[in-house]
Amino acid sequence: MYQYNVEDKKFLLERVDQFEKQLNRYLSGELDEAKFRSLRLRNGLYMELHAHMLRIAIPYGILSSSQLRALADVADKYDRGFGHFTTRQNIQFNWIQLPEIANLLRDLTDAGLHAIQTSGKATRNITADPLSGLTEGEIEDARPYCELIRRWFNLHPEFSWLPGKFKIAINGAKLDETALRIHDLGLKLVRNNKGELGFSVFAGGGLGAAAMIGEETASFVPIEDILSYLESTMRIYNLKGRRDHQKKLRIKFLVRELGAGEFSRLVDEDWQETKDDPELKLNLKELESLKEDFALPIKSINLDGFKEVVDFNYSIWKKNNVRNHKVSGYSIVNISLTKLGTAPGDATSEQMRILAELADQYSSSEIRTTKRQTIVFPFVRKDQVFDLWKSLEKYDLASPHQGTLAQIVACPGRDYCDLAKAVSIPIANRVQERFNDMKKLLDIGDLKINISGCENSCAHHHIADIGLLGMQKKGEEYYQITLAGETLIETNIGRKLGPSVSGEKIVDAVESIVNVYIDYRNDEEKFTDVFKRIGIDPFKEKVYG
Amino acid sequence: MDKIKNHLSLINKDYETINLVTFDEWIENFETLSKLGVGLIIGPDDDIYLIKEQLNFIELIALDFNNFDDGRGYTQAYLLSKRWKYAGEIIGINAHLDQLQFMIRSGITSYQLLEAYQGNNEQDYTNGFSMCYQAAANNNGLALQY
Repeated sequence: MYQYNVEDKKFLLERVDQFEKQLNRYLSGELDEAKFRSLRLRNGLYMELHAHMLRIAIPYGILSSSQLRALADVADKYDRGFGHFTTRQNIQFNWIQLPEIANLLRDLTDAGLHAIQTSGKATRNITADPLSGLTEGEIEDARPYCELIRRWFNLHPEFSWLPGKFKIAINGAKLDETALRIHDLGLKLVRNNKGELGFSVFAGGGLGAAAMIGEETASFVPIEDILSYLESTMRIYNLKGRRDHQKKLRIKFLVRELGAGEFSRLVDEDWQETKDDPELKLNLKELESLKEDFALPIKSINLDGFKEVVDFNYSIWKKNNVRNHKVSGYSIVNISLTKLGTAPGDATSEQMRILAELADQYSSSEIRTTKRQTIVFPFVRKDQVFDLWKSLEKYDLASPHQGTLAQIVACPGRDYCDLAKAVSIPIANRVQERFNDMKKLLDIGDLKINISGCENSCAHHHIADIGLLGMQKKGEEYYQITLAGETLIETNIGRKLGPSVSGEKIVDAVESIVNVYIDYRNDEEKFTDVFKRIGIDPFKEKVYG
Repeated sequence: MDKIKNHLSLINKDYETINLVTFDEWIENFETLSKLGVGLIIGPDDDIYLIKEQLNFIELIALDFNNFDDGRGYTQAYLLSKRWKYAGEIIGINAHLDQLQFMIRSGITSYQLLEAYQGNNEQDYTNGFSMCYQAAANNNGLALQY
């Protein structure tokens, strides 16, 4: 798998040295709070309610077993023994002490991990489908493009002080697991009628208080021209984006104010000046070399005569957690960290080390992280899936929740986060308790519940079947419900059901919604399809009626 | 020089004192000022495209980087230096130590740090890296890796 080389690691160390100087200037009172905030965010550091939070990037969601071990070591040495996998292919540590940060980051550089631009008003970690390279029908593996674009905008001199944060997702698969149209910029790998590869570009998507779906600004940008096109997009945003209103900083507001047509015209006008600049062409030689680095470490194997073990618990887990691999003889295994009473996405250092060990044994030492805060083993031989399951079960990691309602996505919420208006994790736990019946979960099927503790929407509640958004009403915690958000085939923002529901009653409301779905669905009809067919009223009646 | 309302000035690389006018003054009195060999102070709000055709008449340009979080100055520097190939000096004024590396690579030719930063080792902030991942207006002697 792709790993940073010596120069990359040197760059990471140089960045840590620089940040350490800034941190020391802040601690000695030489650098003021506001400027330090700007600088620390660009190094992934948040000052939180109880301690400080550090966000480490997991580019395109891939970790080697040794990287996972390095994260486990950080959890033990600098945190309280756990980390939180986020919805955007990062991991967060919540109990970090300021003076230790530089050493923590230095420890990680050796494993090729860093926190550069995991926050702040610059290009964030670029996300890709966690199953990139693994599934049938993919147009192209997005990861080499993610890496080249990530590099290009790493401390980019012109675009490191944008009006707002800037999130990019790249999808090369048929189904959009990246939710690219809710990103500031979404890139979709496509082929034109000559069979050439390029990108469709969507700008101005985003969640938050004003959720919007990105609009297409270019239907086909040849791959070699993508850097200059992205630069032009950011240049127009940098110059014209709103800086006067804290709530209108994101590119989505500019795209709406100008109109998508005018925005793309301005981008195109700028791009005509640079698209032929040889310095801005994508390095195709480097691209080919990255494709080799990202090539699958497995070849198809013949498993004729292999008989699957018959075991009831195993077959339930397998149904929910195991997917077909494009390479014959292999499976993709999803591992859910979700357990009753624990926070979605949280992993202890012990779990991380066990997963690293199992990945060495069963998955070519590779691990991937997903938007639903689960772990994927991408390369498991079909005849070893049972053995893997047995090991996972031994360590209490064989939760069969993947692909069921109980695999809830939640942000850290008010228990940990300064910005949150309400708790998220306790609500997730209460919903899981309410549906703590595997037979029922299997009957309900794949229904996605996401819970965000505030409008920043870290848990992506807008694109879940059932989205819950925490808020405060007269000092009490309430939750606004949105229904039928989706991104896989088409992108739709969830529709608001009605008045927000108190924390006390929210689990009843969720159960009512699930019941309406079960009552109305035909066969295996998806939640979003039922919603489109019957509309919002039956849900409203049941919840408020 | 009584035609120049603003009495700010900068010393250029040849140690000559250049009088500066604001962007608005320049736009308003272009006919007069363009004959006087003045420099221009440009803030982030100023629409730099308006002077694209007038660059030959401007002695030097001072880009104001005082607002730490306002990144428009970097694009202004890029447009002037790389795209429009402005031949005069582009001076980053009211510069912050921690942003020197970005300013220099965006195309400024010199800078004036804010007083608060005096006493720091500027080298740490102008050239703290051995390589960079993108081509920019000025690659500052860094190894390019992209």
